[in-house]
Order: sequence, then structure tokens, then C-alpha cells
Amino acid sequence: MNINATLLGQTLAFVLFVAICWRYVWPPIIAIMEEREKRISDGLEAAKKANDSLEEAKLNYEAELDKAKSESADIVEKANQRASQIISEAKTKAEAEAEKIIASANKNLEAEINKTKEALRKDVSEIIVSTTEKILGDEISQEKHEKIISEAAQKI
Amino acid sequence: MATESSEITTTGYIEHHLTNLICGKTEKGWTCDPYLADQMGFWSFHVDSLGWSVFLGLVFIGLFRMGIPKLSTEAPSGIQNFVEMCVEFVNENVQSIFTSAKNPIIGPMALTVLVWVFLMNLMDLVPVDYLPTLAGNIAAFTGLVEEPGDAYFKVVPTTDPNITLGMALAVFVLIIFYSIKMKGLKGFVAELTLHPFGKYLIPVNFVLEFVNLIAKPISLGLRLFGNLYAGEMIFILIALMLVFNSIAIGLLGVGLHIIWALFHILILALQAFIFMVLTIVYLAMAHETEDH
Repeated sequence: MNINATLLGQTLAFVLFVAICWRYVWPPIIAIMEEREKRISDGLEAAKKANDSLEEAKLNYEAELDKAKSESADIVEKANQRASQIISEAKTKAEAEAEKIIASANKNLEAEINKTKEALRKDVSEIIVSTTEKILGDEISQEKHEKIISEAAQKI
Repeated sequence: MATESSEITTTGYIEHHLTNLICGKTEKGWTCDPYLADQMGFWSFHVDSLGWSVFLGLVFIGLFRMGIPKLSTEAPSGIQNFVEMCVEFVNENVQSIFTSAKNPIIGPMALTVLVWVFLMNLMDLVPVDYLPTLAGNIAAFTGLVEEPGDAYFKVVPTTDPNITLGMALAVFVLIIFYSIKMKGLKGFVAELTLHPFGKYLIPVNFVLEFVNLIAKPISLGLRLFGNLYAGEMIFILIALMLVFNSIAIGLLGVGLHIIWALFHILILALQAFIFMVLTIVYLAMAHETEDH
């Protein structure tokens, strides 16, 4: 267990290995670790940012959705109103039209009835005249008794 | 080897395990004969300790360089994970201790100390007879020694005080270097002489502060050495149980070896960690410029 030059040899080896480690081993490992650290912190920051913007987008989306919902409700309401208005309008129009049609039909019918009545009267008076002629001979002429015939026809 | 040669005594076995392979200069020139170790003087080397130490240092560099070519910022895997974990652990420790001053060499040094010392400590877990027996047989085979048992080979570098004190010496030199660099020579001398009793008791202050300064590297080196030497010693004593020709004692030895090895893993890692932290703390103290 004696102290000898081994001690100096070990000191020299120590200095050499420390120098090698300092020069060639330590720096690349530290550099790579620092780079990774930076990458990770950057990534975390980016993730945080993305999260924030996602939150914001969510809020925006919800607001937009609410707006669209109320708008669509408005539109539906308006449409309903308009529809009922159109229906009532159409109803009144149709009723008026129907009344009009019925009135004109009545009028026509009356005219037809009158016409028919007139024609019947004429026919009846003619029949009566001709029958009377046949009975009385030619004494009654159409022209002479025009007045009486038309009066009679009037009475039928 | 011990189980086969009955002439080896318990003392001999322990001594054999605690003797380094030493090479040095004697009157006859350079030799690696352990029996001439007394004649070698200071300029001799423990080839085994130094060899393992350098080899494990290269393992450390290789391991940590291997992670680099494939380094990716995306998803690290395998060895890169391990490398990054170590670096991050060391970096956190350095940054928590070095709060005010910054020094780019502290981190790499702390990493080197941690991993290198841990690897050297880890050699303690290799059963004590394996590598010495292998080395002895290789030496005998190649004719370097006559018998395998003549070759001495100590595997765990940190059980050699030269190794631990050698690293502590480097730390000590750095402490003095940075003390002078940060505080100036005047500030360093003032720190050594003007505390804790003021300028009228400079000799007393100097003795106290000098002991304080010297104690740092010595305690740093001897703590690691002492822990590992004791652990190694217990492994050797447990291995001795296998020398007896008794199956029961042998099995007990194996059980004890496993238990001690499991417990020792904690000590290995802890001592490497303590060595690293103290290195950082001492250097952080050297960087402190304000008076206390």
C-alpha cells in the first residue's frame, strides 16, 4: 500500500478524461437535450394556443347557432302569418266570387224563365187564336184582332 | 487457485490479493518483479490499477460517445436514454450546488467522476479470484512468470490509494487554481490567513485554514479508498471460506458473497456519488468570492 508514481499517472488520466468529456462528450448531449426541451415547450405552447382558439371558435359557433336559430324562428313565424293571411284573403275572394257567380246564375235563370214564359204565352195565344179561327171560321184575322190577342196573351 | 494449492496459507491468500502488479526502476533497470518493489522507490507504477483505470475511463468515453451519433431530439432510446439520464442527473446536481458562479468544465468533470468512479467501483463485484487467476494463467502461459500464483493482479482501481488520491490531487489543483483565479492571489492568501480570528492571529488562522484546505483532497481520496478497500477485504474474507474442503462452509460462503455483493452495490454507487458531489462542492467553494 505504498504511494508511488501511480498517483501522478492517475492524475494525468483524470485530467485527460475530463478534457475529452468536456470537449467531445458533454456538449452534444447537452445541446440535444436543450433542443428537445425547447421543442417540447414550444409544442406545449402551440397546444395551449390551439386550445384557446378552439374555445373561441366554440363560443363563436354557439353565438352563430343561437342567432341562426332565432332568425329561423322569426322566418317561420312570418311565413305562418303570411300563409294565414293569404288563406283568409283567398277565402274572402272565393266567397265573393261564388256570390257573384250565384247572382249571375240567378239572373240568367230569371231571364230564361221570363223568356220561356214569353214564348209559352206567344205559343198559347197562337194556339188559342188558331183554335178560335178554326171554330169561328176566318172571321178573326190576325191583324184585326192583334190588340185583343196580345191583351189575352198578357193575361196568361 | 487457492483451493488447489494447499501450501497457500490464509495470510498468503489475503496478501496475494492485496498486492499490486508493480513495475518500476531498480538498480538492474526496469522490472515488474513484485519482490523487488522495495527497491523501486517513488518512480514505480501499479500497472494493474492504472491499466484498469484507463480501460474503464475508455469504456466511459466509448459508452457516452456511442450514444451521440444516433442522438435524436425526437424520441431517444436505449443507450441514449441512459446517457441522457446520467447527464441530466449530473447537470441538476451541478446547477443546484453552483448557484452563483458558472464554469463550463464542472459539468463534464462531475460526469466523468461519477461514471468513471462508479465503473471502477463496479469491478469490486467481479468475484475476487476470477481476473487474478485469469491474469496469472495468461502470465504463466506466456512465460512472464513461472507459476500462475506468482503473478500479482489487483483488479479494483479504487482499492488502490494511489488512484483515489491521484484524482483527489487533480481536484485539489483545480481548487487552488480556481481560488486564485476567482479571488486573486491576494484574496486566496487572505482567505487562508485572516479567518477565523482576524489579522492579529495570522499564524493560528493559517494553521487552521491550511489544515482545512489540505483535509479536502485527503478526505476525498481516503474516503473512497477506505470504503472500497474494506468492501474488497470482506469479499476476500468470504472467498476464503471456499478454501476449506467443506461443502457446507462453501455454500455459506456463496450465500454470504451474494448478500454482501447486493449490499455492496449500494456502497459502490453511493461512494461514486459522494465523490462527485464533494468535487462539485469543493470547487463551488473555490468559486465563492464573498467573505464569510
